[in-house]
Amino acid sequence: MKHSEKAEIFNKDEAKVNWHDKALWYVREKRDNSAHKVKGWEYLRELGSGIKANVLSNLDEYLIQFESNAKKNGIHVHWASNAEEHNEIVNSILVKHNAKKVVKSKSMLTEECHLNPYLEKKGIEVIDTDLGERIVQLAKEPPSHIVLPAIHKTKEEVDVLFQEHLGTKPSQGNPEYLVSEARKHLRNKFLKADVAITGVNFAVADTGGVVVCTNEGNADMGVHLAKAHIACMGIEKIIPQEKHLGVFLRLLARSATGQPITTYSSHFNKAEEGKEMHIIIVDNGRTEQLSREDFRASLHCIRCGACMNTCPIYRRSGGHSYDYTIPGPIGSILSPGKDLKKYSSLPFASTLCGSCSNVCPVKINIHEQLYKWRQVIVKEEKQPIIKKAILKTAGVVLSKPGLYDFAGKSARFALKNFPKFMIYNKLNAWGKARDLPEVKNDNFDEWFKKRNKDG
Amino acid sequence: MNGLKKEIKMGREAILESIKKNKPELLTVPEIKKEIFAEDINVKEVFKDNIVLVGGRIKEINIETIDAEIKESYANAKRIVSTSSKTTLGTVSVTKNTDPHTLEDIDLAIVEGELGVSENGAIWVTADTSIVRALPFITNDLVIILDKEKICLHMLEAYDKISNRDRNFGVFISGPSKTADIEQCLVVGAHGAMSLTVFLV
Ligand code: SF4
Repeated sequence: MKHSEKAEIFNKDEAKVNWHDKALWYVREKRDNSAHKVKGWEYLRELGSGIKANVLSNLDEYLIQFESNAKKNGIHVHWASNAEEHNEIVNSILVKHNAKKVVKSKSMLTEECHLNPYLEKKGIEVIDTDLGERIVQLAKEPPSHIVLPAIHKTKEEVDVLFQEHLGTKPSQGNPEYLVSEARKHLRNKFLKADVAITGVNFAVADTGGVVVCTNEGNADMGVHLAKAHIACMGIEKIIPQEKHLGVFLRLLARSATGQPITTYSSHFNKAEEGKEMHIIIVDNGRTEQLSREDFRASLHCIRCGACMNTCPIYRRSGGHSYDYTIPGPIGSILSPGKDLKKYSSLPFASTLCGSCSNVCPVKINIHEQLYKWRQVIVKEEKQPIIKKAILKTAGVVLSKPGLYDFAGKSARFALKNFPKFMIYNKLNAWGKARDLPEVKNDNFDEWFKKRNKDG
Repeated sequence: MNGLKKEIKMGREAILESIKKNKPELLTVPEIKKEIFAEDINVKEVFKDNIVLVGGRIKEINIETIDAEIKESYANAKRIVSTSSKTTLGTVSVTKNTDPHTLEDIDLAIVEGELGVSENGAIWVTADTSIVRALPFITNDLVIILDKEKICLHMLEAYDKISNRDRNFGVFISGPSKTADIEQCLVVGAHGAMSLTVFLV
């Protein structure tokens, strides 16, 4: 299903959409306040971007250095070219420890590799322990946001879900009560777990250690109680030196939720005596993205979610409408690299207003890359397909022919004008009334060129 | 298992090969000009404000009164683990070999912080000072004792200060455990400590 069709489903509940929109915009505002308090914020972003650019240009060397330092500390290092290899490696470690119960803390990578269903088929219990992730796991849904996985759920929905799965009392969605029940439920899981799996926020080449950031403390509860820790990371998580954490930890939480730092920033360098630590380094399409000059910078992403919170389309269409592990603007650059046909509508799910690029802590030129994907898609995909993609993405507006005269105009023309008519038309898939950031009146091409010149 | 090992090896070579082929020309690592972040502020006062901002409590006290202060804040705590020699309130003793599962119903943990960070209220706590790694997380409530002279301006400074350490496990803790995963309502006490009180001495 294309993005717009899914967006339409999400848009059926208008009150919920309005709430979703406002809630995310509020997070975006918190980000602004928090960023403004930091002296040298723009310089900090430049550093973040510069360090990441250096990382990509020397990635193989850094990975080798990281591996050798990690090994010196007794950490087992594994490499996986793709999702299957990753899952097999995880399984081999679980088999070695005869592990039947696994607790996982938020990791978009294991989500990307579909680790849970793989392990569940083998009879292993996998519990997602981040509260938002647990909620969507119980609901049998994927996360709809990379930082706020259950942002699409109302508290009443969570209430019903918990009644059904955790045996809680009806509370009309009392957040305190629900969190306290989840705490009890998950404590029990932590205490019984054999192995803990975590993601990695940053992997430091010169120390061989990894850093995991959480607000709930779930990564630590898992790791410090289990016999073994498996940390899964994409190759792009590397940073050269430990001191660079000083740059990225200053950027990450402020961009994500507006907090000055996450509650816990845990530095894992060595397993506890008698325990084991494993790191799995995963490619799964990343080196291919590295080869694409125009889209390479998407690998700078530190997964803060700011581009989602600020995106008018994301806010009004919800994460599930993207149908990709990483939704929103950044996901719309990453996904076509994975499967151009399947995700060909995503680069069009944007007004190209540039707000995503403006908030991105590592200065990824997100909206420019979206525009570039559009050009690739127009060239590579057959015209009827692309026309259909635009039609669908534009949603209701083009289903009412009187509103926009598509006949006789090339798809290319439509592309150029796409942002404009989408922004100014009230009847689109992303909702009827919404506040959009101010967008230039120029024809998009001109505006785009101007923007590039202005830097 | 053997077959898998071989594949893993191939994974490594294939990934490194592919990176070599696809990476751009070498770019230099930017040098960090710390002076751009320099600020003439009272780091201690800003630190205190930030602890409150992140949901913690903070009190500057005289070291002699520490036991009374902790008792006042946590009057009902019975099972207390202290890894600090500055207080005598510990009722449950731990060693490096303590099974963390046995700390499941600890009411209060008292540990020493090594360094505070003004910009975000974070405090550096290591496996060496908490003795059991799980302790600051599994406890119901957490007290961190911090030397008021050991507060630095920002994270870059913090990493300079902790650069010479035994790297096993360390964590920056900023406030009590929290979540906003249910309709963005902030609830304190997710999986880790339900409250954090910092005593500056
Ligand atoms: S692209 Fe930038 S703004 Fe979006 S999640 Fe990644 S780092 Fe954050």
